[in-house]
This record gives sequence, C-alpha cells and structure tokens, in this order.
Amino acid sequence: MNNLSDMIWIEVRKAIRSRMPIWTSLGSLFMPLGIALILLIAKNPEISKKLGLISAKADLMAYTATDWSSYLVLYAEIIAVGGFFFFILAISWVFGREFVDGTLKDLLAVPVQRISIVLAKFIVVIVWCLAMAALILIFGLVVGSLIQLPGGSLSVILNGCFVAGATVCLVIAVVLPFAFFASVGRGYMLPIALSVLTVITANLMMALGWAEIFPWAVPMLHAQGASTMMPMSYWIVLFTSLAGMLVTYLWWKYADQNR
Amino acid sequence: MDILIETENLGKSYGDVKAVDHLSIRVAQGEIYAFLGLNGAGKTTTIRMLLGMIKPTAGYARVFQTVVRIGSQEPWKSVGYMVEDPHAYPELTVYENLEVARRYHPGTPTKAVGQIIERLGLEAYANRRAGVLSHGNAQRLGLAKALIHDPKLLILDEPANGLDPAGIVEIRKMLLELTRQYGGTVFMASHILAEVSRLADRIGILHNGELLQELDASQLEKNRRRRLIVQVRDVDAAQQTLQAMDLAGEVNEDGMIILNHTPSLEQPEEINRRLVDAGIPPTQLWIDEEDLEHYFLRLVGKDGGMQNE
Repeated sequence: MNNLSDMIWIEVRKAIRSRMPIWTSLGSLFMPLGIALILLIAKNPEISKKLGLISAKADLMAYTATDWSSYLVLYAEIIAVGGFFFFILAISWVFGREFVDGTLKDLLAVPVQRISIVLAKFIVVIVWCLAMAALILIFGLVVGSLIQLPGGSLSVILNGCFVAGATVCLVIAVVLPFAFFASVGRGYMLPIALSVLTVITANLMMALGWAEIFPWAVPMLHAQGASTMMPMSYWIVLFTSLAGMLVTYLWWKYADQNR
Repeated sequence: MDILIETENLGKSYGDVKAVDHLSIRVAQGEIYAFLGLNGAGKTTTIRMLLGMIKPTAGYARVFQTVVRIGSQEPWKSVGYMVEDPHAYPELTVYENLEVARRYHPGTPTKAVGQIIERLGLEAYANRRAGVLSHGNAQRLGLAKALIHDPKLLILDEPANGLDPAGIVEIRKMLLELTRQYGGTVFMASHILAEVSRLADRIGILHNGELLQELDASQLEKNRRRRLIVQVRDVDAAQQTLQAMDLAGEVNEDGMIILNHTPSLEQPEEINRRLVDAGIPPTQLWIDEEDLEHYFLRLVGKDGGMQNE
C-alpha cells in the first residue's frame, strides 16, 4: 500500500476545506442539546407547567435518565440512532463527492494503488465519526455534571462511557458499507435514502425478534444492554463492515467509470 | 521509433450499441495524434479505455507497451490526461488542487506546483477557489493538473474547449513545444477541425465508433475537393464550348458552371483562353477549395461535400 499518508493528507484537506466536519459536528450537537434542554425543563416545574406537551415528553425522558447510569444509556441510544444518520452524511460525502464534483476521473489513471485511495477515505470517515461521537459524549458529560445527576461514581461513568464508546464503534462499523451505495449511486442520495430504509427495517426486525442478527439493529441492542445479544451479533457486524469495505474497494477498482 | 499507444481491434459495446468498434491505431513517440469526430463518435469512450477507466469488450490497448487494465496503477507514471470537462475540488484553491494532483503522482517535487502555475499563467488565480473560476481558467487548471508531473504522454479530450483565442494559441504552442522540444507525445480528441489541422501530425477520423480514415495532416489538404467555378454571360454557349473540349460541367442555381475535371483544375487558364476565343469571356473564374468542415462532413456522410451553392 503505497502513498497512504499522501492519500490521507488529500482526504483530510478536502474534508477540512469543505467545512463539512464542522457542520456535521455542530448538527450532531443538537442531539445532546435537546437532551440537556429536556432535562432542564423536567427539573424546573415552573417552566414545565408552561410547556404542556413538551413538558410531558420531558418528564418521560427525565424519568428514564434519573441517574448517571441511565443517562449514559440514553446517550448511547441516541448515538445508535442519531449518530448513525450523521455518520451516514460523513461517508456519503467522502465517497459521493467525487462523483458529484466530477473529480473521480482524476483518481483513476494515477500511479497510486486504488486500495490506498479507498482506504484513506475510510480512515478519514472513521476519524471524522469518532470525533463527532467524542464531541457528543463530552458534551453529555458536561451537561450531566451541570444538572448534578446522582450516582456519578467514576466506575459508573467509565462503564457508561465504555458502553457508549462501543456503541459508536458498532455504528461506525455498520455505516462503512454505505460507501458502496454512495459509489454505486454516484452521489449522496442513494446512501441517505437507504439509511432511512435501514432504520425502518431495524425497527421491524426488533418487533419480529430478529434484531440480534440484523447488523444495523445491533448497535441499539448493545446500547440498551439487551439480553438477546449474542457473540454472533458482533461477528455479523464485523463481517458486514468488512464485506462493505471490500465490495466498495472492488467497485472502485473494477467498475467501469464512464461518467 | 517507440510506439506509445497501440490499440488492436479495440471495441466497447453497451448492449447492441457499439460505442467503439475494431479500433486499431498506433501513436509513435513525438507525435501529435488527433482523433477527430462528431459528438458521440466514440472519442471519449476510446480515451477512457486508453486510461483504464472502462473495460473494452473487444481487443486491447497498450500504453507504454503495457496492456491497459482497469484499476491498475501501471503505466500512469508518465501519462498526463484530461477527460471531458475539467473538474476540480471547488472548495480548494487552484494551488491546493494542484498540490492534490502532485500527491497523486508520487515523486513529483513540491516546486512543481509553483512552476506549473507560472507555465499556465495561473498566478493571479493561485489562491482563488476552483469553484469560482471561469470555464477558460478551469480548463487551464485541468491542463495544469495533466502536466504537473512532466508527463511523456498527454492524453487530452478537447483541450481547447472553452478557451479564448489567445488561450487556444497558447495551448497550441505548449503542445507543440512539448512534442518538438521535449520529445513528448500527444493524443488528443477534438471536434474542431481547424484546430486539429494546425496542430496534429496525424489525424484519425472516427465516426459511429469506427475509424473511417487515418491520414497525415498534409494529406488532409490533398484530399479536400477542389472545383473550378466559371461565371459567364451566356451559359449555354459556354457549356457548348466546354462540351467540345469534353469538359462540360454542372450549372448551379446561380448560373455558374462548376467543373470538377482534373484538366480544368490543372489548367484553368486553358479554359479561360478557349472561352475567350469562343467570344464568351468569363466574368469570373476561380478555383474553390472545399473547406475543412465540408470535407469532414462529406467523409462522415453528413453532407454531400461542396454543394453547388
């Protein structure tokens, strides 16, 4: 794999100059901001009374996040669903933009192995998603401290962070195959549309009791600490992720690029 | 002389549609070879096959004696190219886009970016985002990306597209310099006949995916149709005189006599003398040469060549 560092430099440059990482990170912060606001409403009966329906929702959420442990589970769940969509945006952009901007042809007849080009893109997507997740989690820890949640021992917080971190890794793993859809669809629309379909299917699988074998449902089950989870579920996620990256690479290497 | 590009029965079909069919060409080192064809003739498909972007459905292409394979990193080290409209990362500056292009060609020195900016006259735009460039400057940027690693072979699709007349002259000079001074080779596709005739050493005429004709630029001049046009006051009398010489021509709708015979083209003064002797002096007499566009259209069957307009 030659010139991987140069290829990473290129992808980082493209991402930073596009400002997409900033916009997606800011966008993803709306999720913890929403939680913070809801917990704030629930903790202030005066505001709560004036807000009616929002107040009822806030009370429900506050009921589920009564201490650090349940609060961090809530965060992991939010990353499993909300983070999924922001990660989809990142991977759709990194892979789809070459088609949308018409720059793909500039990468095809160059003395650099195609695997270096594709791998650099995956590396940048993974780092970008991890940075977004870290931002969400750090924000969550700050909010949790400010609203003085009970039960905040170091072990509880570390355990919660570990669950959330593992959830992030699982979400990133199941997002990586969407690079293939961005490539085949030659843009952003196909992966974004399929991500919505995937979430709907994941919910259906949960209702049918097959969620543990559906890779895109596994991060949510992990976040919830579901008892139905089995080691096979993690293997399925790993296989899906690797297969997704492999077919993306094969497509970039062998598909006709006539546009 | 080394053959840098060679195709043997190269073909690409999409279902029943043959985009390129049985294409066999050879381009030697130091040549400027132009591929001439109408839109949809198969020029870009050929270029994409030469660059390993699409798989041929028949035959093969060799570049630098290496069989081109899709997805391969060979033999692109010494190849620069520009396919269809030039594109660049719109949020990156001209300089950054060229830095990206430099890194896609390992071994290209850092100073190459500044040098190519200067060579292509892009100094004033170096720090401007590519997304706001005019079409002409975007074309220059595309050429700069193709040239940044000092390639020995340039494969260009419509290189003069969108350039103003000064830009076209500049690019022509640059391509000539590349071949004449540095022994570089250029394979270019174009539909602009006049441009091709000024630049190319050899021309391949492509139509409906097939190579209709391959000729030297000098042959292009010879193959153009010529005709002698005679304007007289008494057409019938002039035709009788010419018939007596076995040289009767056609009369066009403007009442001019059109002669295509070799003797009349070789000795128009003899036609003039005979008509004067017969008391029908021509009011006008000249040799009309088919222009390049008509020649090309005649060849691809889109036009009857020179009409008797």
